[in-house]
Amino acid sequence: MFAIFDKYRQVFLTGLQSNIVYRFNFAVRGFFSLFHLAAVVILWSAASLGGSGGIGGFSLGQTITYFVTLLILQFFISAFNEDYQISEEIRNGLINQFLLKPINYFAYRFSIFVAARLVSGLVVIVPLLIALPVLREYLAFPHDYRVLLFGLPAMAMSAVIQFSIAYCFGLLSFWFLEIQGFVILSMALETLLGGQMFPLDLLPEWAYAIARCLPFYYQMYFPAAIFTGRLTDPTLIFQGYGIQVAWVIALLLVNQVLWSRGLRRHTAVGG
Amino acid sequence: MLHYAKIWAASARYSITRTLMFRGDFFVWSLVELFWMSVNILTITVIYEHTQSIAGWTKYQMVLLVGTSMLIQRFLMGFFWSSIFEMGRNIRSGNFDFYLAQPGNVMFMATTRKLDPDSLLNSLVAAAVVIYAARQLGLDPSAGQIALYALMVLCGVVIHYSILVLSISLAFWLTSAQGIEGIYFTLTEFSRLPRAAFTGIATQMLFVWLLPVVMVTNVPASLLVQGFDLTLSAWLFGSALVWFAAAVFVFNRGLRRYTSASS
Repeated sequence: MFAIFDKYRQVFLTGLQSNIVYRFNFAVRGFFSLFHLAAVVILWSAASLGGSGGIGGFSLGQTITYFVTLLILQFFISAFNEDYQISEEIRNGLINQFLLKPINYFAYRFSIFVAARLVSGLVVIVPLLIALPVLREYLAFPHDYRVLLFGLPAMAMSAVIQFSIAYCFGLLSFWFLEIQGFVILSMALETLLGGQMFPLDLLPEWAYAIARCLPFYYQMYFPAAIFTGRLTDPTLIFQGYGIQVAWVIALLLVNQVLWSRGLRRHTAVGG
Repeated sequence: MLHYAKIWAASARYSITRTLMFRGDFFVWSLVELFWMSVNILTITVIYEHTQSIAGWTKYQMVLLVGTSMLIQRFLMGFFWSSIFEMGRNIRSGNFDFYLAQPGNVMFMATTRKLDPDSLLNSLVAAAVVIYAARQLGLDPSAGQIALYALMVLCGVVIHYSILVLSISLAFWLTSAQGIEGIYFTLTEFSRLPRAAFTGIATQMLFVWLLPVVMVTNVPASLLVQGFDLTLSAWLFGSALVWFAAAVFVFNRGLRRYTSASS
């Protein structure tokens, strides 16, 4: 039983090492996210001035805090290029070695993903700390420990959803030569419906209700809304958990189907 | 001049033939751009549900600004993007040799080789967005104003083109110009904001004047919305010239350093 965990623990540790190599790349990426934050601050400050001094019932500070939280979450849980890595392994036959070994490819990839996000998540704190003197006046986190209590499980499940979607796209390489188009297409959807352009509660009632049923909501917005105090009603939070669990299971099933179907088509080029 | 037009037409023919070969790809990529443009327009719509103005710009004025930004970006993508990015890779791999042997100015040959018909198709969508916003605003621009708008958009394309060529030319020194793509997209985020929203001195210096990504969209858009402003238009025209000259200079400097990588 423990042997199984030990196997993936080793994968995780190796993943940690190979991602620490890229710490500088992550830092640069984090640094450029500050430009994105600058654009966000400029846009929403102007929008809040043009309204009644806030946006959708939240203060400017709360709005900016939401975007800062998104940024941190992004580096901790979102899939960066996992889809392309998986696609590459399928296309050039590197995947063959896993077919012969007692290792689950999903678990193997997921262990590396967790290691990679741990590194990138910790690294992004550096540019944010540098920007803190400027950012501080905008930050308005809720002073309530329950936010963490409710938010962390949501965040963990979001990570699984993020990874599973990337994994699905990677597996499409069994059928298609190029997955880049699909990935960027879905990225547009994720950006909008995951709440990266604006907090989803700003949507009209009916659109928000639809968004709450889609997986994208649980990819990013759900934990971010809990952490920043936009979503406080426990009933709504537990409802959210329910839908989130359902999406986790659904995506894992889809992955399983794609994997077994895909392997049947796989011709094991190279090795 | 005719010589270059002929070369360009040959490249265009080649690109279109290629697109016809990969129709599925063309379809997916057209959809990708359409989706991203919709994301930006939808964002504006949602924000204006909760505010009346952004730095003095009303909803449809903002749509016109964003539409202008999309128009410039589509033209850049359609005419130059793929070629400029391949240039970076070719410099590293040594395949750049190929361009040195071609019958024409190297910078011209290397940056105009490939067209992206999907982006050009979507530039029509972007133009439609601008026209729609102008209609909603009840604008009735004169022929002269439209011509000036087109000229300013052209200046914008020149500036974006020059900034890109300049950045990718760094590959002559650094051998790798990876990641510039991401930086470019971050910059375009600023181009969708009204100039008046930049209240901080640092951001104003950096994004409005030093890197004219904000002016590139604001000047043509305000030309339709608020009327012609000679100083701003002349300024944009001037900076297009300066940026283009800088790009040509840096590119040629870099070219001298190019040693070809392959054996």
